[in-house]
Amino acid sequence: MTPSRRPMPAAQGTPGGPAAPGLTEVFRRMEGTLQQPCRTCWSGGWARFRRNRTGMAGAFIVAALYLMAVFAPALTPYDPVSHGSLPEMRHRAPGGDHPLGTDKFGRDVFARVLYGSRISLTISFLSVTISVIVGALAGAAAGYAGGWVDAVIMRFVDALMAIPRLFLLLTCVALFSSSIPLVIILLGATSWMATARLVRGQILSLRRQDFVVAAESLGAGGRRIIFRHLIPNTLTVMIISATLRIGGIILTEASLSFLGLGVPQPVPSWGRMVFEGREALLGAWWVSTFPGLAIIITVIGYNLLGDGLKESFDPVNFG
Amino acid sequence: MEKLLEIRGLTTEFVTSEGAAKAVDGVGFDIGAGETVGLVGESGCGKSVTALSIMRLVQYPPGRITAGSVTMDGRDLMKLPEKQMRRVRGNDISIIFQEPLTSLNPVFTCGEQIRETIALHQKMGRRESRLKAIEMLRLVRIPDPEKRYDNYPHQMSGGMRQRVMMAMALSCQPRLLIADEPSTALDVSVQAQIIELLLDLKERMGMSVLLITHDLAVVAQMADRVVVMYAGVVVEQAPIDSLFSDPMHPYTEGLMASIPKLGEHLERLPVIPGNVPDPLRLPAGCRFSDRCPKRIPRCLVEEPPLFSPAEGRLSRCWLRGGIAK
Repeated sequence: MTPSRRPMPAAQGTPGGPAAPGLTEVFRRMEGTLQQPCRTCWSGGWARFRRNRTGMAGAFIVAALYLMAVFAPALTPYDPVSHGSLPEMRHRAPGGDHPLGTDKFGRDVFARVLYGSRISLTISFLSVTISVIVGALAGAAAGYAGGWVDAVIMRFVDALMAIPRLFLLLTCVALFSSSIPLVIILLGATSWMATARLVRGQILSLRRQDFVVAAESLGAGGRRIIFRHLIPNTLTVMIISATLRIGGIILTEASLSFLGLGVPQPVPSWGRMVFEGREALLGAWWVSTFPGLAIIITVIGYNLLGDGLKESFDPVNFG
Repeated sequence: MEKLLEIRGLTTEFVTSEGAAKAVDGVGFDIGAGETVGLVGESGCGKSVTALSIMRLVQYPPGRITAGSVTMDGRDLMKLPEKQMRRVRGNDISIIFQEPLTSLNPVFTCGEQIRETIALHQKMGRRESRLKAIEMLRLVRIPDPEKRYDNYPHQMSGGMRQRVMMAMALSCQPRLLIADEPSTALDVSVQAQIIELLLDLKERMGMSVLLITHDLAVVAQMADRVVVMYAGVVVEQAPIDSLFSDPMHPYTEGLMASIPKLGEHLERLPVIPGNVPDPLRLPAGCRFSDRCPKRIPRCLVEEPPLFSPAEGRLSRCWLRGGIAK
């Protein structure tokens, strides 16, 4: 058969079949095959991210929160911990010297919310870091080694996932007296399983990629393959999932503190403040409302940031 | 010629739900020092698996090397502990793959990947290995190597990336380079450049090359000796000149007939009808019998051994069955 000698087939395609692609479409497809799907197009990703409104809004909120946490002493003259000396300072309504009012001990709510952000941000950031590191190592080991190593690690993950998290946390906090490091470790240790699953899946697909076999053919050993070739290629996905997870961790910490088992007194923590303000909710609504709002804004900020990162960097979204 | 590598009875199986498929079934040949051996055959006849088996890079599961030996310097590579085998890879034997587009890690610069390989095998500091890596880039004729060192793989063309792969593979001066279809994924003009570069580097570095390809033109250009594989076994082995003048296996004849020739006008290019058989459903007798135009009744019942019909030649065909090897 010599197709070139024949008249060009009509562009409508076969009856009932899909229409033949136009020239632009053909070029677009060719482009797709020529440009290798690169997993971490950092430069392109940042350009996309800057145009991504939700992502930028999230980044702005999160950045503002961190700045407020760092510069808290400059933003308020009040001490978040020491009690006010005068009884008339109790439950002052918002306005005047106390923009968000005072609590039952006469402490400035604005100052407490500001200083409380230090606790919430630190705890959530550190525990997510722990969970990402543990999860990445477990997932990478399972995905790379395969066989019984994979089976043991993943069944362990399944078992941990089956334990109700809040009860485990409550038990641990009840057994050991509560402290900030303990809360960080507990939150990290109970949230790494999802990362492990995610990373394992990524590694399984990367594992037989040509560049990994090529690295093996040049004499690279298992540890080198995992840390130089596999994990760096999963970083984007890991950062995205960590950002999205931070919101949940802040909420868990808040619920723990709300139950009175999170961060010990008198450290200002948002969850604790909501808890303490609930008795006076009808009379002095501002005591619980503002820390509650702070929790909501932070979680929204992180989620927007995570969504933006996902839309800009995750190959699934633009591949 | 001094032998560099001696492959004997190499057998690699892949476990499938229907049983163990022997992708490579008792392959044996030698590679001399400084020699270029072409390994030819259609897709799916076991060429690449042979290469991966020599390097012991067959993924387990599902693949497993079940028998055979690959001897280098009096050591059987198949029995070497994994740690020592790792030292062989890259140092003594290197491999370059068909797909230069996906053979480089996308998150590191090309130069850094070469530098790492050098640092891995030779005790060298960061600056020294960087200079060596730039030297390697220059050796594979990448223009402006100092600048290109900091390029990411996606900033390079396919031909350029294949050169980077070659620089990586050659950075420790291996004695054997396995080139698995090094030019197949590239366009024709770049193919020629890569083959020419490969020839030049081979001469300069004095290494042996195992060239895996389905392109007989490339083989004619580069190889000293040719091993033809079909359905997991060696069917013919010959020095390059006598292979082209007098092929001794109907499969080789078929491969040659299907190369278009300049100045020849044919209605249709001759092809070998059918496909390489599924290793789980090999025909009885000779593996090529179902596609062979010269089939005799014996071919359908009995598998021919490797005959040696002439000096330095081997053929797995009853029609050439002079003296069994």
